[in-house]
Amino acid sequence: MPGTVENQDTFLNKIATKLGRERNQHVKKPEWNFQPQWDVYQSRSQDELLDVLKKSCQPLHTKVYETNLSKLPDTLQSVIQDYDGGPIIACKDDRFDEYGLSKVLNKLNVFTWDLTEGQSNIEKAQSANIGLVFSDITLAESGTAMLMNDAEKARSVSLLPVTSIVIIPKSSIVPRLSQATRKINEFVKEGKLIPNYINFISGPSNSADIEMNLVVGVHGPIKVAFIIVNDK
Amino acid sequence: MPMKIGNQPFFDRVDEGINNDFMQNAVSSAQDGLRGRKLNATIYDKSLVDWEIWRSAGEEIRRHTLENLDYYLKQLSDNWAAKGGHVYFAETVEDAQHYIQKVVKQKNAKKVVKAKSMVTEEISLNEALEDIGCTVLETDLAEYILQVDDHDSPSHIVVPSLHKNRGQMRDALRKVGYKNSDKPEEIAAFARETLRQEFLDAEVGITGCNFAIANSGSVSLVTNEGNANMVTSFPETQITVMGMERIVPSWEELDILVTLLCRSSVGQKLTTYVTGITPGENIEDIDSPKDFHLVIVDAGRSNALGTEFQSALHCIRCAACVNVCPVYRHIGGHAYGSIYPGPIGAVLSPILGGYEEYGKLPYASSLCAACTEACPVKIPLHELLIKHRQHIVNGEGHAPLGEKLAMKGFGIGASSPSLFKMATKLAPKAMKPLVKDGKISKGPGPMKPWTHGRDFPAPSSENFREWFKNHKKETKKGEE
Amino acid sequence: MIRLKVSLFITCLGELFYAKVGKDVTEILERLGCEVDFPKGQICCGQPAFNSGYLNDAKKAAKQMIHAFEDADYIVSPSGSCTTMFREYPKMFVDEPGWKLKAEAMADKTYEFTQFIVHVLGVEDLGAEYEAKATVHTSCHMSRLLGEKEAPFRLLKHVKGLEVIPLPNNYDCCGFGGTFSVKMSPISEEMVDEKVRHIEETEAELVIGSDCSCLMNIGGRINRKGKKIEVKHIAEILNHHVKGGSHHANENRESTLL
Repeated sequence: MPGTVENQDTFLNKIATKLGRERNQHVKKPEWNFQPQWDVYQSRSQDELLDVLKKSCQPLHTKVYETNLSKLPDTLQSVIQDYDGGPIIACKDDRFDEYGLSKVLNKLNVFTWDLTEGQSNIEKAQSANIGLVFSDITLAESGTAMLMNDAEKARSVSLLPVTSIVIIPKSSIVPRLSQATRKINEFVKEGKLIPNYINFISGPSNSADIEMNLVVGVHGPIKVAFIIVNDK
Repeated sequence: MPMKIGNQPFFDRVDEGINNDFMQNAVSSAQDGLRGRKLNATIYDKSLVDWEIWRSAGEEIRRHTLENLDYYLKQLSDNWAAKGGHVYFAETVEDAQHYIQKVVKQKNAKKVVKAKSMVTEEISLNEALEDIGCTVLETDLAEYILQVDDHDSPSHIVVPSLHKNRGQMRDALRKVGYKNSDKPEEIAAFARETLRQEFLDAEVGITGCNFAIANSGSVSLVTNEGNANMVTSFPETQITVMGMERIVPSWEELDILVTLLCRSSVGQKLTTYVTGITPGENIEDIDSPKDFHLVIVDAGRSNALGTEFQSALHCIRCAACVNVCPVYRHIGGHAYGSIYPGPIGAVLSPILGGYEEYGKLPYASSLCAACTEACPVKIPLHELLIKHRQHIVNGEGHAPLGEKLAMKGFGIGASSPSLFKMATKLAPKAMKPLVKDGKISKGPGPMKPWTHGRDFPAPSSENFREWFKNHKKETKKGEE
Repeated sequence: MIRLKVSLFITCLGELFYAKVGKDVTEILERLGCEVDFPKGQICCGQPAFNSGYLNDAKKAAKQMIHAFEDADYIVSPSGSCTTMFREYPKMFVDEPGWKLKAEAMADKTYEFTQFIVHVLGVEDLGAEYEAKATVHTSCHMSRLLGEKEAPFRLLKHVKGLEVIPLPNNYDCCGFGGTFSVKMSPISEEMVDEKVRHIEETEAELVIGSDCSCLMNIGGRINRKGKKIEVKHIAEILNHHVKGGSHHANENRESTLL
């Protein structure tokens, strides 16, 4: 059932009147004269972008690990150890299987988000030490993992646990936010539904509200680690 | 007047500000720190190629969007509703309050959690909800501290508690059982522990909106602490309140404006969380609201549309202008008497709340233009302050009579060089009785405020025009 | 050598209080080969009225100034702020296209004193000498609105004996702001007080600026507090102890700046 819109015409008519014209029915967005975003880290190789990403992560307190597909299970296991182990929760995401991680997940007693269990998922996430997710698009410039959350790739997994471990396929690295928002915009233009919750996450939650001193770890994760997988 | 803070006259608030050393130290060290961070993330960041082009890009987008605001708001609201969300266009503060009260009542909700939002401050939403029996909890660290400190007012649009130092924050939190030190880490840990369950228990989550995205019917939130993500995940009902101008055509423009916002306000490439939220029907997510309300607020903003003040609505609330303002530095945010302080506050508050209440603010600037230089979307802030002064002079506000007479005299003198010349000749004589030891330490009338803390120079004893005439004669002679 | 014709715009503050600055500017420009004239019809640029919101009164001043400087090749002024006002005249005449054209023509030929020397004359070493430990106040209008941040420093670099120490928070306004200084005097006083504190931090014995208005403010505060710091316009420094110049500035001439 579609939602409701109240008071639209009165409100918008007033705006048009103030702007000194009739209501605009069709507006074509112009080709912008200024588009500096495409010059940032343009035509960099994937390896160069990886370097940029690693540099960006440093000031964010995001620890970066690198591995390849075959070593990923071992790396994941040791990173988990670095962060004091379980309890661990993971999104329900086919990529864990595709990247050969099912065994490790089993072995470490990882709880995978399960819609049928309702609210108890949130309790599990809440008491978890580590949450495991995959990055959908990774932004080199800002050290950012973009997560397209949905019912199974649940947002709680990267929000509630103490530590967030994000698996970053190297192929997912793009120069900056611009490439990600362009992709989302393409979905929109094609009339596809976009995820209800798209989250760009750059490092652990933090605050500078106290005398502008950076405190790492407020309401979201206190620690964030990236495992970059050379997947190609 | 909901936007208003405090009841004292302007100059009493100024005095309070300049006599508050704690506040002045907190503000000046914050400004000095933020300055370097912003420069490193903007004009010094070579990877951006040229920050000025980014500013032009931001300006171009904001201008186009505001010129076609009705179109983009229609697109946004239709798209939001098509996805199952509800939109309410609120022309006034009261309209917005009533709608939100109605929604909360319908839900029978008692527990409301909020993420920091200036527009909800502007519409006094907390009071409106408390009036109908709700508990409203601010969850942004700064706002939380202000709330527990007997509802202290925000003094900055990005860091509302900027006027407080850590000791004052610690003491404020004592009121809610905080036992540890003034270490930021310990204070943050306390907030994490205390608020976690509140997020999970709340029935309604309320946030502002950094930018709505018209073509997808989404809103975006740009935050660091993670509280906004909590607020938009666990409560059953989500209410997003947005100033009607906070909108971009598509995700592509969101990119530019978020970049400008994060870098200009706190010198970050991106804040920790940039979150895009789009309503949906039959959402299966366990950790998502099911009911989405978007309240689009005018509350005086349309006063600026189609006027010379329209560009004030281009503001993206980064506070870059506040962070470089030397007046704000000395008087602090509360002195402005509006939840919108600093240069943008001095421009915006009279537009939203009128000259009667905020007519002094356009004068609280030395027109040094640090604000204009800092603004990432190139709002000519200091010029807008002058335009406000023009409106006040033209009878919309109260310009002092003495000033009016002086300026009349100025106008007459200005159109007559002979009068001007006479005045410059007479001045040394006229001022002579005031001069002691080559300076004036106690001036009468308009000079009095100056000489309160400063000496005034004595007029030159030699008349320049005469010197120049003689000098020319001499050089001519020399050449002959 | 082509003799550039320069019309001096001394500014009302300069004319009333800082005649010496006008003399130094004249002497320097002449030494650099310019033919300096002083248009008699000049008055105040109108900034006090304009900034206070009295647009019509400001326009009267602007029209008089446009008239006074109509025949000038170059207009040079020892004030970044008043130069900025000339440059901004065209904005005042959006409704009067005829005047707007004239204002634009005038804006195009107007330069601040140091800007003119460095960018038009292409000279940086004026042969001046000044033994002092100094710091420089960069005026807001000059650095931000006129966009001239370099010229004064480039000229001062060549002054023999002068040590220039960077001024902390140099970008913060000194608190002058025209009528702001009296209308909002408590705030203005706080601002100039901080400015003087930063000047003291440099341990400089001299403050140099390119705008008499800021210097009047800073100097007024320094004087009131009884500090032993001199305040001078850059023209006074650049015309000091010049070797081989035909018009030696009189070193004994007392500073007119407090």
